[in-house]
Formats: sequence, structure tokens, C-alpha cells
Amino acid sequence: MAEDLVLDTAIRDWVLIPLSVVMVLIGILRYFVSKLMRSSQVPDAKIVKEGQLIVRARNLRASANFIPAKSFRARRFYYSNEENGLLFVPKGQAQNAQAQMFSDPNMAMDMMKKNLSMIIPQTLTFAWVNFFFSGFVAAKIPFPLTQRFRSMLQNGIDLSTVDVSYVSSRSWYFLNLFGLRGLFSLILGEENATDDTQRMMQMSGFGFDPTRSLGAEKDGLDIIQHDWALPKFEQHAESVLQKLVH
Amino acid sequence: MVTKIEEAELSRLESQVDNGGGGAWDFLCLVRKLKVRRSDKVLKHGLSILNDPKKRSALGPDEWTLYEQVAIAAMDCQSTEVAKDCIKILQKRFPDSKRVGRLEGLFLEAKGSLSEAETAYTSFLEESPFDQVVQKRKIAIAKAGGKIIKAIELINKYLETFMADHDAWRELAEIYVSLQMYKQAAFCYEELILSQPMNPLYHLTYADVLYTIGGLENLQMAKKYYASTIKLTGGKNQRALFGVCLCTSAIAQLSKGRNKEDKDGTDLQSLAATALEKDYKQRAPDKLQLLTCALKSLRVSS
Repeated sequence: MAEDLVLDTAIRDWVLIPLSVVMVLIGILRYFVSKLMRSSQVPDAKIVKEGQLIVRARNLRASANFIPAKSFRARRFYYSNEENGLLFVPKGQAQNAQAQMFSDPNMAMDMMKKNLSMIIPQTLTFAWVNFFFSGFVAAKIPFPLTQRFRSMLQNGIDLSTVDVSYVSSRSWYFLNLFGLRGLFSLILGEENATDDTQRMMQMSGFGFDPTRSLGAEKDGLDIIQHDWALPKFEQHAESVLQKLVH
Repeated sequence: MVTKIEEAELSRLESQVDNGGGGAWDFLCLVRKLKVRRSDKVLKHGLSILNDPKKRSALGPDEWTLYEQVAIAAMDCQSTEVAKDCIKILQKRFPDSKRVGRLEGLFLEAKGSLSEAETAYTSFLEESPFDQVVQKRKIAIAKAGGKIIKAIELINKYLETFMADHDAWRELAEIYVSLQMYKQAAFCYEELILSQPMNPLYHLTYADVLYTIGGLENLQMAKKYYASTIKLTGGKNQRALFGVCLCTSAIAQLSKGRNKEDKDGTDLQSLAATALEKDYKQRAPDKLQLLTCALKSLRVSS
């Protein structure tokens, strides 16, 4: 067991606090920069319509049994006939969303802007922290931790004898980077743009292809069996009334 | 939809505010959140906040929301002067805002210059063709101006894109009913039932429409939908009970002498009649005579 390290108060005044303050300020700055660069998007007519269409088709699928068989069949035909059904996507027309995205320069531009506002400040601050503050033991957390946390808390210090509850300056930077989200949402309001983790989620999830979900809805509609629920309701109503009367 | 808890909270705040107990801002927020129509009260209490510089500045950025809310309430109450002032202030603050532009359109409507409002909305739609509110306003103008056919056209155009908007379907259904275009109305009500299958009101109106169209098949369907309304409301809906009685007797009349397989239907009718009688006995004993007469005439014909 290593002895307790005594941390210089100067480290607190010149490393710990400045680092945190700088991280907060950079976060705020980034928020305003990305707000400036954000271009207002005009929703595409086709996408809006397809979204609504899917909702409507899903409603039909979910509660098909509540309308008469004739009405259901008419609707199903309307949605999925092979001539001009709304859900029917001709084979050639089902273009790849990825390809479409790259052919649209606006979209690529937008993404690049987003990425730039995320990556550039991050690399810059990381370099800055590395240059000025590398190698400090900046803080000590008041409870013991197991060895596994060493890589998380003591990034940049290659000493295995130091107790794990000490936090190196570079690790403090990372902790700030990911831990300040709550603070930002307090300062900048709920929907601020500095949320890195969320943005990463968005990045991974954008391969969404509406035509594919249209096809899936069509298949779903094609296979459901219509079983009118209303005749059952008549009996239910009878029992309800019987209870009410007696 | 307004839940029971929210409704209780709203009426509590309303009475508190009315009796001078404070909490006006909370009341206004709740009204806005629930989208309920309390224009007179919003106007009164909102203005009292806006006219008090200290209270107004305490709101911070919400001040502008309040201006908007008060402006709309004022238009609803026909106090155009107040609305004009509010909109002017908002215009000064947000010169290019679309939201304020929408308010101006509304103001024109409130003043009664429908055609001007319509041109304003049309130019508005050129910029942002997917503004649902503005499209709906245009439909409302057409309806207010008595151009029902145009309103139908506009709603149909709107529904082509926003086909999951059940409020629009409902509006269309009501217009069709008012024009006695029952087949079209039935389609709309089917759409409404699909979007909210557990809402008894849609079942009820759909049944009404089917009953009105008439014909044996439709009457049988109408009866089923009246029955489902009874099920969904727990037998508390008189209209549905009457509907079952009417349908049964009408069906019996149409299929007189033919097949008698529909025996269980009469069961439902007598049950509905008893339920009605019981309900009238409890709540309106003096009208019981009328009811028994009406029911008897139905039963005689069957």
C-alpha cells in the first residue's frame, strides 16, 4: 500500500479548477457556434408523407378488426395494390438511402458541419490539456476503488504503485468531457447541442430507409386475417346490460 | 385529451385565481399545456400580469409566450385592440418570425377580413408548405366563408400528406354529414375508429351514419356498432341504447317474414329498453311516460 500523497494546493488552483472552467467555457462556446452553423431544414414532402402513411397503415393493421370486412378489404387494396398502392414500392425505385445521401450535397454538408463542430474543439482541447497538464495528479476521490479503474482515473500516469483513488489530470479532462452534460443542460436549457453521446447515437442510427419500412408494412398488411370483432361486442353488450339492469 | 387529474388541477387553480388567491401564471401555463379554451379568463389574468411591469419581467423569456397566449385569447373574445397591441409588441421583438406572422393572419381573421387573411396564409404556405397550422387555418377560412366544397377540397389535400391526423378526419366527417354525404362520412369515421379503436364516440357516430344510410346490411352493422358503444361506455350512453332499439325494430321490419335467425337481437333490444327505463326512472321520472310510449311503438312494429 502506497503512502498517502500530499497534493499541492497549487495543483488545485492551477490545474484542477482551470481545467474544469475551461471545459465548461468550451462547451458553451461550442453550443453557440453550432447554433450559428445549424441550417434550418425544410422537411422533404416525401418523407413527411411516408411517415404519416406508415402511422396510418400501422393503425389499420392494429385495429383492423374494428371495421367491417368490406371496408378493410378496400383499404388494404388501396394500400398494397401493385399498380398504384401507397405502400407499394416498385423495385427499381427503391433506391439506396446511403447513395441518395451522398448524392445530396446539402446533407453531406450538414453532417460535415456537425462533425467539425464536434471533432475540432475536442482534438484542440485534448492537445492543449496534454501539453500543459500532462503528468499531474490532480485530485483524489474520497473512496477507494479497485485496480480496474486505474485506466479510467489515471490515464497518463504509468505508475502502478499510486493508489487508484488519485485522479490524473488527463483523466480529469475525460471525466469533465463526459460528465458535464447535466451542467450544460442546466446552463443552456434542456435541448442543447453539446450532447456528444447523443450525437454519436444519431450518427450510428441514420442508415434508416423509409422505403424498406414501407415494404415491411405492406407485407404485414398482406398477411393479416380480418376477423371482425363487432359480433362479439354484441354479446359483450348484452352481458353489460344484464349486469346494469339487475 | 385531458385526464381527470389534470382537470381537477385546472378547476382548482381556476377557482383559486378567480378568488384572488394568486397563481395566475400557473393557471395560464396549465391552460396552455392542456389546450383548453378559457379565453375570457386567460385574457383577464394574462393582461393583469402583462400590465404589471414587475410581474412581467419576472417571467423572463416566457413573457413572449404570454403575449402570444393573451393575443389569441383576445381575438377569441373579440377585443381586437388588446390583440393588436400584443401582436405589435411581438412584432417589434421578433420581426421575421413565422409564429408572429401566423398571429397576424389570425388577427385578420378575427377582424373578419377573411380574404386578406387567406392571401396572407397563401403567401405563408409558399415559404413553408408543411405548416399544418396554417393549412388548417385556410380550411377554417373556407368553412367560415361558407365555401364548404372548397373546404372539403382543402381538407382532402391536407389529408393526402398528413393522413394520420385524426382531427382533420373528424372535421371532414362532420362536414360530410352536414352535406348528407353519408358514404364519405362513413369512410372518415372508419378511419377514426382505426386510429382510436377504443373511443366509443366514434363507434356511436359511425353507427348513426350507417343507420341513416339504411338498408338491411347497414342497419345490422349499425346495430353492432351501437352494441360496441354500449360495451365501451358500460351502458351509460342513452343514444346507443335508443340506437339498438331503433335498429332492431327497423331490421325486423325489413326482414319480416324472411329468416328468423336473428333471435338474439331482440334480447338485446329488450335489455336496452329495460336499461333505458331504469335510467329514466332514476333521473327523469316525469318523462318516463314519453319513453314507454316511444318504446311501445317500436316494439309493436317489430
